[in-house]
Amino acid sequence: MGVDFSQPQRQSVIGILVMFFYTLQQYSRALWPMIVIWIFKFDEINKLYLFLGMIAVFVSIGVVSYLKYLNFTFFLDSENEEFIITDGVFNKTKTAIQLRKIQQVNINQSFIQKLIGVYELDVDTAGSNKKEGAIKAISHELALELKFRLLENEEKKSTIGIEETSLEETEQKLFEAAHPFIKIPFLSLLKVGITSNYGRSIALLVIFFSTIYENFQNFGDANNVYKEKVGSYIDKNLVLQTILISIALLFGIVLVVNIIRTVFKYYDYKITRQKGSLLLSFGLLNTKSTIIKPEKVQITTVTRNYFQKKMGILELKIKQATSGEKEERKSVIEIPGCSETERDSILKLLFHKIPEKGLMLQPNFRKLVFSVFLSLGLPLLGFMAIGNWLEPLFFEYSYVVPIYVVFIGLIQYFKFINNRLFINENFIIKQSGAWDVSNDIIEPSKIQAITTSQLFWHKRLNIGSITLHTAGGNIAFQLGNYSILKQQVNLWLYEIETSDSNWM
Amino acid sequence: MENFTNEIIDINQLPKFEEVTFTNLHPKYIRVVLINVAIIIGILILVPVLISVFKPELFSGRVWLVLGAFIPIISLLIIVFSYIGFQKKGFAFRKHDVLFRHGIIAVNTVVIPYNRVQHVALHEGLVSRFFGLAKIEIFTAGGSSSDIEIPGIEKEQAENIKHLLMGKIQKQL
Repeated sequence: MGVDFSQPQRQSVIGILVMFFYTLQQYSRALWPMIVIWIFKFDEINKLYLFLGMIAVFVSIGVVSYLKYLNFTFFLDSENEEFIITDGVFNKTKTAIQLRKIQQVNINQSFIQKLIGVYELDVDTAGSNKKEGAIKAISHELALELKFRLLENEEKKSTIGIEETSLEETEQKLFEAAHPFIKIPFLSLLKVGITSNYGRSIALLVIFFSTIYENFQNFGDANNVYKEKVGSYIDKNLVLQTILISIALLFGIVLVVNIIRTVFKYYDYKITRQKGSLLLSFGLLNTKSTIIKPEKVQITTVTRNYFQKKMGILELKIKQATSGEKEERKSVIEIPGCSETERDSILKLLFHKIPEKGLMLQPNFRKLVFSVFLSLGLPLLGFMAIGNWLEPLFFEYSYVVPIYVVFIGLIQYFKFINNRLFINENFIIKQSGAWDVSNDIIEPSKIQAITTSQLFWHKRLNIGSITLHTAGGNIAFQLGNYSILKQQVNLWLYEIETSDSNWM
Repeated sequence: MENFTNEIIDINQLPKFEEVTFTNLHPKYIRVVLINVAIIIGILILVPVLISVFKPELFSGRVWLVLGAFIPIISLLIIVFSYIGFQKKGFAFRKHDVLFRHGIIAVNTVVIPYNRVQHVALHEGLVSRFFGLAKIEIFTAGGSSSDIEIPGIEKEQAENIKHLLMGKIQKQL
């Protein structure tokens, strides 16, 4: 702990390289049309000029990154309790971040940084959307030390009064810090890859192949001879076979893509406990690390599908409080491939107890009717209308209709069956989803506002909807027993209004 | 610690948000609504007229017929819905929370406890200011879907409400 941060310091010298690559990246992004033109006219340009130009560009980028390195300093002002970063080549910027406003300090490593062997340190504060301070190149020890010093302040705040920790406890803490309490094995990641994100991958592949097919057709139109030849080659019998093979192939590609993506994203997933917070780090090429503070967690989602249940894995998603809407998607933290015991220990850490499902509410069957109308009735009506009045050719695709009806019908049915709201003294759990069944868990104290809604013709049926707004998103439940819902709303309001519970 | 008690809460004894009597918006506010609607209808009529002046070839007799039937129906619908919307809107300030009710085919009620309010703003539109009305905007950390906007409150009353809310928020801190 002997590093002195009170004097302005530069980044690691090797950081010039990082700067160089980043600036290069920036320039090439800005100038790519020119580069493309150069490549196409490669033969026409004087090679000497090109060579000289390239050298000039590289040298200037080098100079700029050196200047960036020279002008970037950071230090801790212990008097004013501020972390100060100065940067800029021509326009100098000085960023002062008050230590007590610091929410998170992340240590990341991108691919380039990994190659060079340095880390990036991001300082995140409340109240602004973007990362306020970022040090692009710093050694790991220094980064850890700085992180410790930046967050020290906060620790002071919270540990007043608990000065006397017994030796055992400190030992325990040291043990916790050194040994990740959850490590997601490679095998689990493979399982996750096999069992999740079918929808997204298939959509991506369909887009990919349809563009290829379109281009292919355009090409075919240009020379009909080619088309005829291909046409004669394809036998009627072969068609079915090809379709089956291509479907099998499609699934194969989806699986492989999924596995590769999951492994790249979550390789070496480690969760460490640190002063009541969870420290996560993962990633194959870009190592990411984040902190979850239990008090900032708003919505916790546990998701699993049928296959995952059989394999004994599940996925946790944790949404923390956000300051901006745009940020919302970014601040979702995913923990893939947990086992049930791991889930329980994480939940215990977040909530101090394992959430239990209490009073169960089901939606009225009208919800099923309505969603079937939206997802089946309207598209079919549209199909009929177009076929009847605009384009009779459309009816040639009628064979798709039964497949669509069965598929969507099943999805809607399972969605309806799985849609439940569980209300317990300490937790509200919403279950939803057709294939991937997810449970959103919130604590009533995290509620910011409640919206209740009832259509006027549902008054006599006593059904209505409710939306619970939290700082991490909304939880909505439609067409449940309205009098129970209203009763619960009154209870929640009472709880929120009579306690000063901290929602963040 | 001696004073600490923990009795069972009788849910039926709790104050019921659904039985609160709501205050309607200021009667003058319907004029603001109608003026805004008039502007929209004006645009709806003006656009085809302008197009027909500059590009007369686009408009056959049939298009005129359709437009002639379409615009009055749409206008009537907009007016009726705006009026019902105005009538259905209402607000209430309880000791610990603020309620806002709105909606034409569905009755929506938003409840925000004072200790979850982030900040309060007072907004005066051009037309509203002419009638001495203002809009109160109440923001929470729950995103735009949970924010309340109460229009059509007399300026003075709006200021009072804002002060009341600010006072409530201050007390929480």
